[in-house]
Amino acid sequence: MRVLAAEDRIEPGMIEPYAIATVRNVMATMWRRDDREVRNRHRVFDPTQPDDVENVLVASEEQLAINEALRRLTDRERQVLLAHEVSGAATQMLADEAGSTAGAVAAQLKRTRARLRVEYLLALDHIEPPTDRCRPVLLALSSADRRRQREVDAARHLLECDVCARLSEPLLDRGPVRDDVLHVTIGADPDIVSARRAARDLAAQAGFTGTDLTMLATAVSEVARNIVRFADNGDVTIELLERPRRGIRVVARDMGPGIADVEAALQDGYSTYSGLGLGLPGARRLMDEFNLVSEAGHGTTVSMTKWFDPKGSA
Amino acid sequence: MNSGPALVSILRQGDTLVASVHTALDDSEMIRFQNDLVRQIGEVRARGIIIDVAALDVIDSFGSRTLRSIADIARLRGATTVIVGIQPEVAFAMVRLGMDMGQVPTALDLEEGLAYLARLRAVGAS
Ligand SMILES: [Zn+2]
Repeated sequence: MRVLAAEDRIEPGMIEPYAIATVRNVMATMWRRDDREVRNRHRVFDPTQPDDVENVLVASEEQLAINEALRRLTDRERQVLLAHEVSGAATQMLADEAGSTAGAVAAQLKRTRARLRVEYLLALDHIEPPTDRCRPVLLALSSADRRRQREVDAARHLLECDVCARLSEPLLDRGPVRDDVLHVTIGADPDIVSARRAARDLAAQAGFTGTDLTMLATAVSEVARNIVRFADNGDVTIELLERPRRGIRVVARDMGPGIADVEAALQDGYSTYSGLGLGLPGARRLMDEFNLVSEAGHGTTVSMTKWFDPKGSA
Repeated sequence: MNSGPALVSILRQGDTLVASVHTALDDSEMIRFQNDLVRQIGEVRARGIIIDVAALDVIDSFGSRTLRSIADIARLRGATTVIVGIQPEVAFAMVRLGMDMGQVPTALDLEEGLAYLARLRAVGAS
């Protein structure tokens, strides 16, 4: 948590160079479709390396823009983003620190990255958007949020506003913000199938095979069903981890009634009602790590991890 | 079941119903499948049922429970159910999950399932 601690002491305009360099790498990868680049984003830009020398001039322009963009975030947004991107703090750890949930932190990070991209582009061109509608439109484009784009009538604004039309190109001409995090909203039966498919797809991309894929998908199915049965709705976040080693983390979050006795809920045969009987203890057996936090009236968060085993399993 | 391509096909072969699940079913689709199948047992006076789940990449607690309850209901109506085609990874995960098929007979594939039912009939006839 070095950055988070240091960040409290320094002025926003004086963010440490290594933090800026790392965020620059995050920014640089945003316009690349090669997902390997995205996964290597923690590689720090080093102007002393011969390969990087000719990039220095461009880099300093970019650094100023990044610095300015970071400054325009709120303190909280900046802290969480730097802790996650620079120090590698997991969303769960950040959530625990803030008394929030991993899903909420992941959603916040997604919004922050979207804002950072917009502010970066504005700062790089030294422009202020000409109308009040510009930022909401750019933000909706940056976060690839189609519903929001319709709400703010982004398509129409791009016809009317030259500035946004120009900025929309780099915002749209990129892959997903991060292709190593997936969110699935859970509200009904079909979402259970969607969640386990998403987990399987991401894990397969990451090299998981065979039984590991099936165990992961089955565990996701169980925790997603738990949301549908007991909380009506919530979401499942599936995240590719690279540290301490490759793995898939699944966070299932709901705002339902919560589980009164967590210990009991993790015992086999706790309830005869379909779902809790085998769902949670079963999911725990299928994953390598399993953690459940529940508070009566405030919902339940299950976070569980499966580590990549290069040998594969049975 | 719905307007899209069939999720499940149920074919009659003599006094045997062969139900093939073609794709992942969500919980409501699974219940609809159960109801369709149970209804057809009565309609065709089936004595044997084969459920082919080779296309399923996940059989979780709900899936296992529903398959078992189909078999239980069928048994009460005089039909024997055989589950065929459980994939090896799926079998492994089911064991880890703590689910199994209980008393429901299983077989490697459709052919084995039909052979199993034929043997039962032979024993019953002697
Ligand atoms: Zn505009």
